[in-house]
Amino acid sequence: MSTSAQTPAPSGPATRREWLAILARTPRACMKDALDTALDGVSPPEFDWLRAPDIGLAMVRGRVGGSGDAFNLGEVTVTRATLRLRVREGRAAVGIAVHMGRDKERATLAALADALLQTPAFEARMHEHLLAPLAARIADSRAQKQARAAGTKVEFFTMVRGD
Amino acid sequence: MLPDKLSSNLHGADAAGIDLATLTPGFNDTVHDSQGVFRALLDALSRPGKIVSIDAVLPDLDQDGSTAAAHVPMAAFAALLALADYSTPVLLQHEHRGLSDALRFHTGAPLTHDHAQAVFAYLHDAESMPLLDAFSLGDPETPENAAMLFIRVDSLTDGTPMTWRGPGIRDSHAVRINGVPDSFWHERALLASQFPCGIDCYFVHGGSVIGLPRTTRVEVV
Repeated sequence: MSTSAQTPAPSGPATRREWLAILARTPRACMKDALDTALDGVSPPEFDWLRAPDIGLAMVRGRVGGSGDAFNLGEVTVTRATLRLRVREGRAAVGIAVHMGRDKERATLAALADALLQTPAFEARMHEHLLAPLAARIADSRAQKQARAAGTKVEFFTMVRGD
Repeated sequence: MLPDKLSSNLHGADAAGIDLATLTPGFNDTVHDSQGVFRALLDALSRPGKIVSIDAVLPDLDQDGSTAAAHVPMAAFAALLALADYSTPVLLQHEHRGLSDALRFHTGAPLTHDHAQAVFAYLHDAESMPLLDAFSLGDPETPENAAMLFIRVDSLTDGTPMTWRGPGIRDSHAVRINGVPDSFWHERALLASQFPCGIDCYFVHGGSVIGLPRTTRVEVV
């Protein structure tokens, strides 16, 4: 499992990789509120499930220090979903969500958001009202955590022995 | 886990190129539908010659643009969806984008062109099917490793009259299947001496199948 996705830089619209990372880090309640705001009463397009939300296990592997031998860290529950918007013509947008945890509702919302982010009619609103607040929320909580951790920082130093 | 020798020559589920925008959805209710299909397939194989209908609800594989000749029977699609998984390489005799994409996405099964590797094979055109012993027959210790063939036929009720005998059949069963070449029955009869190794087949037409396990003795009338 890759953990390399970074919080997007505030400049420029997020790429798909970045918005999938944002959605994967957002709890259900926040996602639902943000999606409601972004849709602003407009009902989202109908969609078909290519893969209805299902729950499984994935093995998380790690490397000590990032360079040691890979080892199995442990299994996590993963929910995944794939949906396709119904469109009259042209290519249909496909939304994908793969999340840790067992919240199918959240995976559904995220997959729908992913599909809408690829739909020209919704794209701008979704970037402005869904992604921007959610990215800010993640950056904010990360900054708070860093500030808390920074408060406990201990400076180690050694007196130079005078000999 | 796939043995190392399988890892080459396969294009698996993680290979790019599945076109999600046109992908055919799978079962509505994956667990129960595939259990139902499995039960029907089991029934067909334990009662050779009986026409078993598969009741799964599946969307039509063939989108516009494909001819009637390329139409994949629903029963074959349902059977492969229910049976195949990441450890069972599937061989498709003819290129069919919709079928291969759907199998790779929904089941994670790798596709292969190597007959000996294939665990399941879908043979669209029985007239040009490869020799039967090109497929894996299993070993005497592991006869379950033999290939299982899904053969599309033109009819399950009309064709050369045959008499089937063997386990699962009381006395004998009259079967008519249209669209299988005579050479197939001949090759199959030659494999009988290698029991317990052998090949199990399903004849597929529309939403129905007839099972033909390796133990059945076929007599073409």
